[in-house]
Amino acid sequence: MEPEVFLRIGAFLKWVGIIVIPVFLLPLLTLVLPGVFSAASRTLRNHIDEVTQWVLRAATVFALALVIFQLAVVIASYAFAMSWTWLSESVIYAFAAMFMLGSASALLQDAHVRVDILRPRFGEHGRYWVELVGTYLFLFPIMVRLLMTGEQGLTRTWTLFEGSRESDGLPLLFLFKTLVPVFAVLMLTAGLSVALRASLKLTGGLPHDDDEDLPQAGEHYGA
Amino acid sequence: MALEVLLALGMFAAAIAALLAGYPVALTLGGIALIFALLGMSLGVFPDSLLSSLPSRIQGGAIMQNETLVAVPLFVLMGVILERSKVAEDLLHIASRLLGRVNGGLGYAVVLVGALLAASTGIVGATVITMTLIALPSMLRQKYDPRLATGTIAASGTLGQIIPPSIVLILLADAVSNSASQAASQMGIGAFVVSVGDLFAGALIPGLILVGLYLVWIAITAWLHPERCPPAADDTADPLTRKEVIFGLGAPLVLIFAVLGAILSGIATPTEAAAIGVAGAILLAGLRLSDSSDGWLVTLVYAAFAGLGIIVVVRNLVDLRLGVADATVFAFAGVAIALAASVAFFAGLIAGMLILYRRAQLSPALKSGVHITSMVFLILIGASLFSLVFRGFGGDEIVADVLHAVPGGKWGALIGAMLVMFMLGFFLDFIEIIFVVVPLVTPPLIVMGFDPVWLAILMALNLQTSFLTPPFGFALFYLRGAAPDEVKTSQIWQGAVPFIGLQLIMILLVASLPWLATWLPSIAVK
Repeated sequence: MEPEVFLRIGAFLKWVGIIVIPVFLLPLLTLVLPGVFSAASRTLRNHIDEVTQWVLRAATVFALALVIFQLAVVIASYAFAMSWTWLSESVIYAFAAMFMLGSASALLQDAHVRVDILRPRFGEHGRYWVELVGTYLFLFPIMVRLLMTGEQGLTRTWTLFEGSRESDGLPLLFLFKTLVPVFAVLMLTAGLSVALRASLKLTGGLPHDDDEDLPQAGEHYGA
Repeated sequence: MALEVLLALGMFAAAIAALLAGYPVALTLGGIALIFALLGMSLGVFPDSLLSSLPSRIQGGAIMQNETLVAVPLFVLMGVILERSKVAEDLLHIASRLLGRVNGGLGYAVVLVGALLAASTGIVGATVITMTLIALPSMLRQKYDPRLATGTIAASGTLGQIIPPSIVLILLADAVSNSASQAASQMGIGAFVVSVGDLFAGALIPGLILVGLYLVWIAITAWLHPERCPPAADDTADPLTRKEVIFGLGAPLVLIFAVLGAILSGIATPTEAAAIGVAGAILLAGLRLSDSSDGWLVTLVYAAFAGLGIIVVVRNLVDLRLGVADATVFAFAGVAIALAASVAFFAGLIAGMLILYRRAQLSPALKSGVHITSMVFLILIGASLFSLVFRGFGGDEIVADVLHAVPGGKWGALIGAMLVMFMLGFFLDFIEIIFVVVPLVTPPLIVMGFDPVWLAILMALNLQTSFLTPPFGFALFYLRGAAPDEVKTSQIWQGAVPFIGLQLIMILLVASLPWLATWLPSIAVK
């Protein structure tokens, strides 16, 4: 296949990204005019959560692959004194894919560590406001910046179909590098879902204190 | 220059204030850094090029291609599988049944199981919650003093950080190793190499002494105040069968010692040993959760254990390298046997996964493993953005200057750095401190002449103490969350105090006798 095809697809995706920017205002619109936008927000949030679940399943497949590939490396090198670059690279690729794809779902499941000292005192509303402000002030800028600064490198790696530096490596380095923008997009949509949920909760568009959204016991722990 | 210093300090202060709002730490650190970088760029004191290196940093050897850190998800998976399959729970039950008949017996059981469990997971929150849910009710039923019971559980839960193979030691090794090579280039000497194996070896003796100190403390309490930790009055349950003891206690012990032994003896790298650990955990969990409907799957799991044994035996008897010129018939037979054994091993592994899948435990364990791993690495991403910007403002030089200006020479600098980390430990957890603070304070301390491994062990002990210290200690938070309401928070705090004392003794021991941390790494096989 010609690189041009993929570059066109990339350019197309970029324009899609630019066109959907207004969607990222939906949480704020819901906050101002809950009557008009609540239904749309709920639908969008459900779709995002569904897609994130599928991506999480992909991440668990990579987790299993990591275990199997690493065991294959261990047995091949221990018993038969053999090693292949493509196998070691598979380990690294599975390892990176596991958390680059899993982070968005971890955000929705509230598995990322927070500082819990003042948080309990903010009350439910205060905590939703923190989610909203944090998403717009921290999450969105980081991920947008990551997408913007990564554009050139991404174009280059796809133009070359960049592969491993070793002759017996995987020819897939361009896919590996694509994990970064994929991560950024997944985090953007997951952040949108979190913001939508906060807006809906604040405006009564979702029932308060529903169990589905409380973090599971033991889900949210640090080291 | 002054403006940059102002921005660096402002960024640190803003990060701490923003963290208190309770938004996820990784994103708060990264977001604050980005805001200050943009501010610095608009004021012309921050180079644009620094920020554009972010994607390649994420893709590079620091995060996505970091071969050292591959061990992290593997150990996480090993821990969640052991937890999900109740192997960990059985361990605590059996240990407390075996030791419950003496004064303080339950306390000994909690300390020993804490050390073992922690060694398999290294996640304080998980260990403290598990032990609080299982051990605390039976300790209270046996009329243990709630202070002694909660103190023992909280302290034992934090053992996971210091006893290898702990996840935080892997992360710390990565950070300290980078710091050490930075320091070496500043001093113009050859690189120090600090491997994960070095830290595991260095942490082993202090960790074991710490376990000993805890046990001695409980023994002293049992001797002076037997009423605080009475033995089990009447054991109405059926006596333990030999099978229960062998499977519940022996198998996890063998797994943990095999993983640790392979690393310390130099047979396997931590990543390789972790992979074997996951396989062992899947096989054990498969056996533990199997029932009569799994007939042939159980056979396959046993075949996997046999296969593993055969590989080890054949490999050590026969030269299996086929490329060698004088490959004999003997070698070919050996290769055939080893190949068959490998097939049996993988078949058994898949059988173990199938059993877990049938009991609906495979997917939750993997998901929880993915979430914990993502949590760790998102912090790494956020913290590396933070460090990048902080360095861009010359923050690392400010930290080095401050450390040099602390009165009391290098020891003053060390104590100052340790105190700051202790305070930060109240609201940041170990992972964030490793990724944000350790890279800043460690290079100057190494330049001043401290041994990197010894420093890392001191830091680990220091933070472990911080997590036990009221009112903000993490371990105490988790314990409070999982403990019944009749246990007062003040009792939990009082219970932690003697263990903090033991921790301080340990820190002073390692500080005054550095060989406790450095002797084992120096003789461990490289």
